[in-house]
Amino acid sequence: MAKKVQKNLSLMKGNEALAEAAVQAGCRFYAGYPITPQNEIPEFMSRRMPEVGGVFIQAESELAAINMVYGAAAAGVRAMTSSSSPGISLKQEAISFMAAAELPAVIVNIQRGGPGLGNITGSQGDYFQAVKGGGHGDYYCIVYSPFNLQEMWDLTMCSFDKADEYRIPVIILGDGVVGQMMEPFDQKKYIRPKLPPKDWVLDGCKGRKPRVIRSLHMVPGGLEEHNLKLIKKYDNIKKKEVLFDEYFTEDASLIVIGFGIAARIALSAVKKLRDEGKRIGLFRPVTLFPFPSQQIRKRAHKNTRFLVVEMNAGQMVEDVRLSVNGASEVLFFGKPGGAVFNPDELYQKIKGTYRKP
Amino acid sequence: MATGLKLKELSKKEDLFTHGHRMCSGCGAPIVVKMILLATDYPVVASNATGCLEVSSCIAEYTAWKIPWIHTAFENAAATISGVETMYRSLKKRGKMDKDIKFISFGGDGGTYDIGLQSLSGAMERGHDMIYVCYDNGAYMNTGIQRSSATPLGADTTTCPAGIAIPGKIRPRKNLTKIMAAHNIPYVAQASPSNWMDLMKKVRKAHEITGPKFINILSPCNRGWRSKTNDAISLSKIGVNTCYWPLYEIENGVTKITFKPKEKKPVVDFLKPQGRFKHLFAPENEWLLTKMQEEVDTEWEKLLKEEQCV
Repeated sequence: MAKKVQKNLSLMKGNEALAEAAVQAGCRFYAGYPITPQNEIPEFMSRRMPEVGGVFIQAESELAAINMVYGAAAAGVRAMTSSSSPGISLKQEAISFMAAAELPAVIVNIQRGGPGLGNITGSQGDYFQAVKGGGHGDYYCIVYSPFNLQEMWDLTMCSFDKADEYRIPVIILGDGVVGQMMEPFDQKKYIRPKLPPKDWVLDGCKGRKPRVIRSLHMVPGGLEEHNLKLIKKYDNIKKKEVLFDEYFTEDASLIVIGFGIAARIALSAVKKLRDEGKRIGLFRPVTLFPFPSQQIRKRAHKNTRFLVVEMNAGQMVEDVRLSVNGASEVLFFGKPGGAVFNPDELYQKIKGTYRKP
Repeated sequence: MATGLKLKELSKKEDLFTHGHRMCSGCGAPIVVKMILLATDYPVVASNATGCLEVSSCIAEYTAWKIPWIHTAFENAAATISGVETMYRSLKKRGKMDKDIKFISFGGDGGTYDIGLQSLSGAMERGHDMIYVCYDNGAYMNTGIQRSSATPLGADTTTCPAGIAIPGKIRPRKNLTKIMAAHNIPYVAQASPSNWMDLMKKVRKAHEITGPKFINILSPCNRGWRSKTNDAISLSKIGVNTCYWPLYEIENGVTKITFKPKEKKPVVDFLKPQGRFKHLFAPENEWLLTKMQEEVDTEWEKLLKEEQCV
């Protein structure tokens, strides 16, 4: 017998949930280009945008799509583009330009296996690219890592707010699994927070002082000054915007750390081991930039060990090691190349790593 | 020794694009590739943009290609073969190679009309000795039938869905063959697998010409066209007979129509068997049918005039 689903719950694909959340959060400009496994987003937007008076454009390349977003954001509209790993590589130039020009936009990466054309299964191989800048120059984007469909919904709405609040490109780092899977989630209503006025938008300067949006600073010292301003913004974000989640970590002697879908799979293994009486916990960064360094540092003791699990060859583990700074042992278990963990495999690995305190 | 373009002789020739590939049943692209390679009597190297043809012909450690073949990102087939061809010329110049090798680049319409146009234009302008073949099925079929700039007016795709807001794609397709002709390269042609002799002759001719060549080939896709799986050849034939897809070549600036249908059929003959045009037959969309017929007529008239202007 099928379970009765509550009325406020919806069942749709992760990519569609994300797209609908964007629309409800006021996204009125979407430009995209086909690539698997994110095609549901442009397809959904092509149907949905006309219904809300928004704009859908299928560009002739990823390069064109992200630069359309650059233009739309400068005009003051909530704008989004999406792609998957190889396409996100092509977008990096414009992301760097947007970070420099301080333009708010949401960029969705439904990651697939890499490098190169890789494959089309879910992967977490783009952590470095998303978190460490990705394009050229000194910059960061806020990076969210949804691990279920509820977060695909909630974090998408949050992304548009944070992009506007800090005038920064925000990356939603999903993957082929959360993009393609279906599960019930609550379509929470979007509530617009108080945001600073968009007093930088290029909307015609008749009767006011002209505004400038640019990423070129040729006056000696000008770029340095601009970069220092950006650093200040990033420091502010690091202080205020860290999000994380944890399970059973209070008394844990082994803390598993993972983000996105890896954490989701690890959670079932950790729960099972808890049931067996093992003092194992799970820590999950929800923002990858800003990274919850201090929160991890606080949990690092002589008697606590960390096991970082990622669907890549070992990327976030570097940030965990920097956070822990030698206070605890940090181990790594990875699965690169678009291969997805299975819960039993993680269960065995975590169990094997666990030592009785 | 060149093989004659006769079925009897060709049937004895080894297929260089062989069985085992995983293109959909009834797909036009593998037929096109087979014909091109059958018409090629030289050692040949191919580059392949990301797309249906690439992804289904080289799954994991298997390959359907019996020739040196290099896969590259979506936008780069022409750039990659440019590198290969230039290195070959350099080796030849330095006396390290004496074989006469030909170079072909394959791309779908997404990878050619859209994202790959820049690298294709660059390769043609630089003058590499190569043939670029576009197998045009009129949408991004590999990723799930999204519109491309080759998608015809009125077609229903997943990113220009026919409904209340729009009756399918509202912009006409780009005339890529003419864009390539505007590069003033020695040879540009349009072909169809239904007219196999014409197609193979064009490939053969292109191989004998030094410099950049471009051939645009109609390649039916039953998944995207929402047509029957056994319709690829008959549909491309109707495409030719309605002058939706005229067969012609432009050699050193001189246009020659290589096939003139005895009786030019109405374009609805081409549209009717395809589910992607189903909505056009609703009374409110009749204007689109008229517009499409006009578009085809105008292009055909233009072509006839060009042919006369020798």
